[in-house]
Amino acid sequence: MSWISTQFARHWRNIHITIIVLLSALVLFGPPTIHTVLNQAIIGGFYYPFYRLKAGWELLLTEAETNAKLQQSLIEASLQISLYEEALRENARLRAALGFEPPPGYHLVPAKVISVSEYQLPVSVIINRGMRDSLTVNQPVINQEGLIGRISEITPDFAIVQLLTDPSNRVAARVASSREMGIVKYKLKEGMVLDNFPLHGTIAPGDTIISSGLGGVYPPGLIVGTVVKVNRDESKPFCRVNLQPAANFHSIEELFVLKPDYNR
Amino acid sequence: MRILPYILYLFLIAFFEVILKNLTSIYGVSINITALIVMLVAIYKSEVISLWFGFVAGLVMAAGAVEFHVLPALITSGLGLTAFHAWRRLNFESVYSKLLVVFIGVFLHYLFLLLVEGGAGFFFVVLVKALPGAVYTTVVAYFFFLIVEGRISYQKIKSLF
Repeated sequence: MSWISTQFARHWRNIHITIIVLLSALVLFGPPTIHTVLNQAIIGGFYYPFYRLKAGWELLLTEAETNAKLQQSLIEASLQISLYEEALRENARLRAALGFEPPPGYHLVPAKVISVSEYQLPVSVIINRGMRDSLTVNQPVINQEGLIGRISEITPDFAIVQLLTDPSNRVAARVASSREMGIVKYKLKEGMVLDNFPLHGTIAPGDTIISSGLGGVYPPGLIVGTVVKVNRDESKPFCRVNLQPAANFHSIEELFVLKPDYNR
Repeated sequence: MRILPYILYLFLIAFFEVILKNLTSIYGVSINITALIVMLVAIYKSEVISLWFGFVAGLVMAAGAVEFHVLPALITSGLGLTAFHAWRRLNFESVYSKLLVVFIGVFLHYLFLLLVEGGAGFFFVVLVKALPGAVYTTVVAYFFFLIVEGRISYQKIKSLF
């Protein structure tokens, strides 16, 4: 026994080398099962978790790429939808304007608002029509809701429309039912008012105010607004009438310039 | 002999072969992590450990290849034993002598593996893969030794900024 332990101690390195060589020979020349089992054990024990990790990581990258593409498609689709919705709204507006008839002696020149200039509220807009379209200064501008204003300045391709909300703009008007007249103007504190209306004139909230055609700029019969409140102060010669404008000046987009037929 | 660190080294070899090998390869030249770890074990551990660890590391490395062979395991085992004796007999102390041992060891490891594989264009593969691979592995080993000997430390890096 002691001889064996002495030999082992003396030749321990050679013994280890011999064991390794024998193991290798067993794997190399032994039954194929040993080879296969050893390979599968190493793959399953050491490599499999990392193969899983790598496959998961690659899947994650693919998913991230797909996700980015889908997000881009989603943004494009959202943009497309918002464009369609805008087209739908424009379509609705244009359909509403389709049956719109100009006053006798005038025809309509459609125009699009390309810029709005505001001072607390819109006071003027620029439209995409100008002298090339045979427009001139002081031609009235309307939309399907009512009177909007008049052309105040003009260039070959564009025109500036002074809106009724500009305090310097005046419209000779009358009450549609009683035919009594006044002057419509816009005051920053009070809003649209009918001025110079007789103190005992026939007017009541809900009455429609139209242009009288006497100022020389606006043809008669264009709707300007509706009476909201009537103040009669006996100490003053005229009553003060507050109006609700017929047109919404915050949402004007498509307008029509009223062009006299003789100017065609 | 505590076996856990060696199992972790084997996992490190598998991790490198599966995930890091392609990421760290430069123009098809990759780090021979198996040879490097076996040689580091040979430098810092005993002869029997170097012998057996080389054998098992060679088996793990071979299992990751397309076709499993046991001969790479024998070669890697021989590398561990040779590196151990080369290191002890020559008794180098400097980092550069360690690097020389690593370079020669990795190069020989590549050389013997190529001989066993027996593919065509032996000298071309030696020139294109074995030599640059040995250099690349030696550069990695250089950083390892610098860290182990404390020449690169967190405090020193921090003091630079």
